[in-house]
Amino acid sequence: MTAMVQSDGEIDWGAKRYLIVDDFVGIRQLLRESLRNLGAKHIDQAASGGEGMMLLAKTRYDVVLCDYNLGDGKNGQQVLEEARIRNLILPSSVWLMVSAEKSVESVMGAAEHQPDAYIIKPITEGVLLTRLNRVWIKKQIFSEIDQAYADKDYLRAARLCEEQIPVNPLHAIDLLRMKATLQLKAGDPLGARKVYEQVLEERDYNWARCGLAKIMMHDGDVEEAQKMFQAVIADNRFYIDAFDQLAHAFKLQGKHEEAFDVLQKAAKLSPNSVPRQRTLGQTALKLENIPVAERAFRKCIDIGEYSVAKTVDAYFGMARVCGKKNDTKEAIRLLNAAVHQFGGDQVTLRAKITEGLVYHETGDFRRARKSGDELEAMLADDSRHRPDTATCLDMATLLFAVGVKEAPVGLLCYIARNNHDNVPLMDELQKIFDKARMGDEGTELIRSSRKEAADMMNKGVLLWKSERLQEAIDWMRVARHALPHNMRILFNSAQILVSRLQQTGYVRELADEAIEVLMHVDAIAPGQPRFAQLMEQLALLAPVSGVVAAAAASEYEAANGAVPDR
Amino acid sequence: MDDDLSQHYQGSPELLMFLASTVHDMKNSISVLSGTLEHLLTNVPASAAAPVPAAAEPAQYQQLGQMLYQTRRLNDSLIQLLALYKEVGKPGYPFDPSPRSVRELVEQVEGQARILLQSRGIAFDTDFAPDAIWTFDEELVIGVLVHAINNAIRYTRDRIRLSVRVDGDYLELRVEDNGDGFPPAMLAAGAQAMDVRDVQVRFSSNSSGLGLYFSSEVARMHRHRQRTGAIALENGGDLGGGCFVLRLP
Repeated sequence: MTAMVQSDGEIDWGAKRYLIVDDFVGIRQLLRESLRNLGAKHIDQAASGGEGMMLLAKTRYDVVLCDYNLGDGKNGQQVLEEARIRNLILPSSVWLMVSAEKSVESVMGAAEHQPDAYIIKPITEGVLLTRLNRVWIKKQIFSEIDQAYADKDYLRAARLCEEQIPVNPLHAIDLLRMKATLQLKAGDPLGARKVYEQVLEERDYNWARCGLAKIMMHDGDVEEAQKMFQAVIADNRFYIDAFDQLAHAFKLQGKHEEAFDVLQKAAKLSPNSVPRQRTLGQTALKLENIPVAERAFRKCIDIGEYSVAKTVDAYFGMARVCGKKNDTKEAIRLLNAAVHQFGGDQVTLRAKITEGLVYHETGDFRRARKSGDELEAMLADDSRHRPDTATCLDMATLLFAVGVKEAPVGLLCYIARNNHDNVPLMDELQKIFDKARMGDEGTELIRSSRKEAADMMNKGVLLWKSERLQEAIDWMRVARHALPHNMRILFNSAQILVSRLQQTGYVRELADEAIEVLMHVDAIAPGQPRFAQLMEQLALLAPVSGVVAAAAASEYEAANGAVPDR
Repeated sequence: MDDDLSQHYQGSPELLMFLASTVHDMKNSISVLSGTLEHLLTNVPASAAAPVPAAAEPAQYQQLGQMLYQTRRLNDSLIQLLALYKEVGKPGYPFDPSPRSVRELVEQVEGQARILLQSRGIAFDTDFAPDAIWTFDEELVIGVLVHAINNAIRYTRDRIRLSVRVDGDYLELRVEDNGDGFPPAMLAAGAQAMDVRDVQVRFSSNSSGLGLYFSSEVARMHRHRQRTGAIALENGGDLGGGCFVLRLP
């Protein structure tokens, strides 16, 4: 793969496959004419977003020219998002979004699926060719970086950015932006902070200001971060990422009313985001603002209908809203719909929790208790995966409230074992025990659970240090089975596997095992420095760099759902 | 569709939708008009030397050129009206400065102007440092330069020149012609457009007031280290006619 590209390198645009999506026949003819003048022979056309999706599903296009405003149905942005998420376009494909005027989407900052370029009508051949060449060259510069990124080898990807900067001054800013993103993923906020500060000395880029403020917020400097987000918004009323982050900053300061106001503004500016509507709904629910919560969850369900970002949270939120309005019948209908549409153990479990909450809140304690008993029965089945920590906490709280005892105690001990060195979380567990009038008993339970986890971990470390690597590996498998979500155990487990590989040379099975462990830990706690370091060591061991990791990563995602990107 | 329009028309989503879809329609019509005219003009060469069908009469060729010129003027006015409506220069306007290649900027401006200039028998020269990189909002700067060229078509004899050079802390972009120069009223309007004590559109003057207002606001949005962009109208320059000058920090 050659990453260095001559900017005057000729590209054969005639041999590429093109798709034009526009609802206006005159424009389609015009664009086709322009493409033919560039030598293009393979040109498909679609008159609507739906038709476009059908063609995208059949053919891998090299270039897509898609109008933003497609009349009824999907708009251009939605077509792009769906095509990207369904993997209908190659990473090397060029997506040009055509619009009638300068769009605010281009400066919103956080639109997750940005096209490669925006292009404004009327389109002349010269402009089209310049934009195509520009995007193509940029993709060449970024191809190796993107590949390392996809393999989650963040440290190598960041180094590649650095290498490209001096030879590509035109893309220096983009490369720096990518480098900072990669450093954050690799758990190096200090490095990312330096990059943002360096960029800001040059010019006040909004993304760099937001990036810097996010790091400050993470470091506990919440008030300064808040001011910086506000300054970005004052300069650019559409920088939506700053709104979302500002709301988060307010929440961290316990200012839920302020967070709510900001979220409402953000949702007004850019209403078609599933995660934003979900956050708005959940915040409104917390503030008991039922009308806004209802509107937000309703919208969330509506836009989710045609979006791959569809979320079950909206159904649970809406069910809670119905509960608050004393409409248990509708709440139960929604929960059934959620289970029917999304399926799976986790959803069934969470639906049952929400059901219990709704009954409990509406004062139907008999039915609430019944939900609790059913939950207890579900938990008794050991073959089922436990849900994430937040859901476990909700569930334990509910179970105590409806009078179940053994199951919530088991859940809380499970959380303590899996997060034995997370002190703030232990405090939360203690509070739940206190509320259930089990304070002293809880303290002892938490202590023994934490010790159990620490003992398991220490045994592995001891075997590793005394060079009994095979025994250490076997023991860590046992530990992982007992404590599937314990970050320390997972990292140590991967570390021991890597040590073994460094001793024996590359062994496919062991490498795959290490990658599976690392993918799992990255899914539950993204952005850990140890993740980036271990991934890099593994990539160095692999006979074909990157390829093995990528294959294993996608296998993991296929079996366990997508690893969240942020 | 456009969220910023909703800022003005929160009470009337129907009007908002109507405006958005009307703009969309108008742009489509202009695209088809100018695309078709460019197509006709390229396939019907001006020189009668080539054996072409009857449609290739020079008079008809000139009429097609005139139609393209008027279509482009319509497009310019639509861009400027929209910018005015969306409050160009205010924080709500989508302003997107990025590092850009000067060569690509010139390429795109030339690409938009080439056929029109050819059809009117106007020679077009460019002069720029091909490796120069500058940070600006490309879409807006292209809009300003193409408008300046369309404007120069009115004043030039037979030559227009686009030159771009780095001048200390500024990028200086000049559109010059070899006509008799701008009339005094135009020069005065140009000076007024950059007067900080008098920042508002001159509705009283003619349509060139709107173009100048748009260009000066685009210049002003470009800021870097306490320096601000500016426009100027002059007479003289390399070709001895009118010069439109855009300076970006």
